[in-house]
Amino acid sequence: MPSTGIPERLVSVEEAIAAIPDGASVAIGGHTLRRHPMALVREIIRQGKRGLHLLGWNNGIDMDMLVGAGCARVVETSYVGMGALGLARNMRRAVESGQVETVDHSETTAIDMFRATALGVDFLPNRTPLGTDLMTYNDGLVEITSPFTGQTYAAVRGVQPDFAILHAHTADVHGNVQLDEANWYDNSVDSFIGRAATHVIVSVEQIVSTDYVRSHPRQTYLPREYVTAVVHAPFGAHPCCCDARYGYDQAELRAYYEASKSAETFDAYLTDRVRSVRDHWEYLDKVGVAGLLTAATRPSVTQGAVQA
Amino acid sequence: MTYTIEELLAARVSAELEDGGLGFIGLGTGGRSFVFAVGIPSIAIALAHRRGIDFIAQYGVALEPDIENAPGCFEDRNLLAWPAAANLPVETCLDGFKRGKMTVGFISGAQIDKFGNLNSVAIGDYHKPKVRLVGAIAQPDHAANAKRTIIILPHSRRTFVEKVDYRSGFGFGDGPGHRERLGLIGGGPSKVFTDLAVLDFEPESCRMRVVSVHPGVTREQVVAETGFELIWPDDVPVTPRPTAEEVAAIREIDKDGKFLNGRIF
Repeated sequence: MPSTGIPERLVSVEEAIAAIPDGASVAIGGHTLRRHPMALVREIIRQGKRGLHLLGWNNGIDMDMLVGAGCARVVETSYVGMGALGLARNMRRAVESGQVETVDHSETTAIDMFRATALGVDFLPNRTPLGTDLMTYNDGLVEITSPFTGQTYAAVRGVQPDFAILHAHTADVHGNVQLDEANWYDNSVDSFIGRAATHVIVSVEQIVSTDYVRSHPRQTYLPREYVTAVVHAPFGAHPCCCDARYGYDQAELRAYYEASKSAETFDAYLTDRVRSVRDHWEYLDKVGVAGLLTAATRPSVTQGAVQA
Repeated sequence: MTYTIEELLAARVSAELEDGGLGFIGLGTGGRSFVFAVGIPSIAIALAHRRGIDFIAQYGVALEPDIENAPGCFEDRNLLAWPAAANLPVETCLDGFKRGKMTVGFISGAQIDKFGNLNSVAIGDYHKPKVRLVGAIAQPDHAANAKRTIIILPHSRRTFVEKVDYRSGFGFGDGPGHRERLGLIGGGPSKVFTDLAVLDFEPESCRMRVVSVHPGVTREQVVAETGFELIWPDDVPVTPRPTAEEVAAIREIDKDGKFLNGRIF
C-alpha cells in the first residue's frame, strides 16, 4: 500500500510554465516534429519569456517557434529543421542576424550531454567530434586522453538544464509518467533529458489513476522522483505527430511553414494561433474537433504499406 | 532505354554495397536533399537485395524495414506499423556507430572540399553566417565512425569548394595521416556520387579525383562546377549507364516516386 502522504503534482499549463524565469536553460523533448511538447512551448510564448537557453538533441517547430517569438538567446542542439518541409526559417533569420547564438552538436554529443548527467557523471567520452569545428566553437567539447589506451576522445560536458519540458501519453496525479507500448524510439532520449534537468514539466495526453499506473508499471519511463509538474494537455504535441495516438496535422504544419517566410507573417501567425488564445483548451477549440480528429484518424497517406 | 540521373546514381551506389554490410540511412530532410541523402541510398539497397546481397539497412531506429513497402509519410504511427527486424532506442542505434558496426554511412552536405570534409552547419562566418543551415545531425557520427562513407550530393561550384566554411563531417581533414593521428575508427569517404560524375580519393594525397564522368557530361562541365583542382585519370571513363533490368527494377521498387522524386512527407 503506497503512503497516503504522496504529494500531487498535477497543475495547469499556466502554473507549470510560470515557474520558468527569464534567462533559464530549458531542454525540450521530442525529435524533429515528433512529440515535441507544443502546448508547453505555446504557453512559454504566451507568457512572454525572454533570454532562454534552449537545449535539445534533434529539434524542429518547437525551437523554431520559440526563436521566432523572441524567447530564446541560445540554441544548443544537433538540428533545427522542419523535416520534409525544409529549413527552419525563423531560426535561420535569427542566427543570420545575430539575434540568437548557436551551440552545435552531432546527434551523439547532444545525447551524451544529457546522458552524462543522467548517469551521474560530468562528462562522457566520444570520438565523433574530433577534428571538426564542433570542437572549435562548442566549449562543452574538450579533447582528453584515455588513461587506459592513450586513445584521444572528446569529453562531452554533461548539462543540467534548469528545466526540461516533455510530452508523454499518460501520468497519474503524482507525476509517474508513462508511454504507450507503441512509442517510436526516436524519442527515447526524452528519458535522459528528464533525468538530467533540475525541474521537469511533463504534459500528457491523459491523466490516469494511480491504480492504472500501478497495474502497468512497465509503461512508466519517468517515475515521480524526477518529475516536478504534470499537465493535462490532450493533443499537446499538435501539430507534431505523437506515436500511435495521432499523426501530423499536415495542413497546420504547412500553414506554419508558409507563415514563417517573413518576420511579419510569422508574427501574424503567433497572434492568431498563440497570443490571442487564452490557453491550450481554447487552442484546441481553434484548431477544431474536425482538424484534430483528422490528424488522429484519417487514413494514412501511405501508399502500399501496412496502415496504422 | 531512357533513364533519369537519380536512377543512374541508385544503380551505381548499389554496385558498391557488399555482402554482410550494414548501412545507416537517416530519415532525412525535405526536397532535393531527401533524394540525395535518403532516396538514392534506399533504392540502392533495395536493388542490392534483389541481387541477393545480404546488406542490413538501418533506417533511423528501424532495422531491416521493408523498403519496397515504405510508408508515404514518416509519421510515428506509420513507422510503428512498418515491418522490420527490430526497433531499437535511438541511443542504442547510435552507440552501434561508435562500436564500429556501421560499414557504410550515406551522407550529404551543403559544401564539400578536396579532402572530402563536409559542411551542413553554416555558410560564411560561423557567428554571423550568410546562410544558417539545419545543423550537423548525425553526419559527424557517420563521417567519424563508418568503415567508409558514400557521399551523394549535387555538383556545383557552390557545393564543391576549396575549403568548407565549417567542418561538420570529417573527411580526410587537412590531408594524409590526419584521421590516423586522431584515432578515428572509420576509414573516411570512399566515393562521391554527383549528378555529373563519380569521384574517389587518391590514397597518397587524400585529394578528390575523378573516377568517371556521366554519359553526356564533359570534362569542362565538371571543371566549371568544381571550386578546386581535381585529379584526373589520363583517359576519363564514362560512368556505366543503368541496365534495362536495373531501370525496370527501380521503377517497380519506387513505383510511386517516394524515394527518387522525394514524395515522402
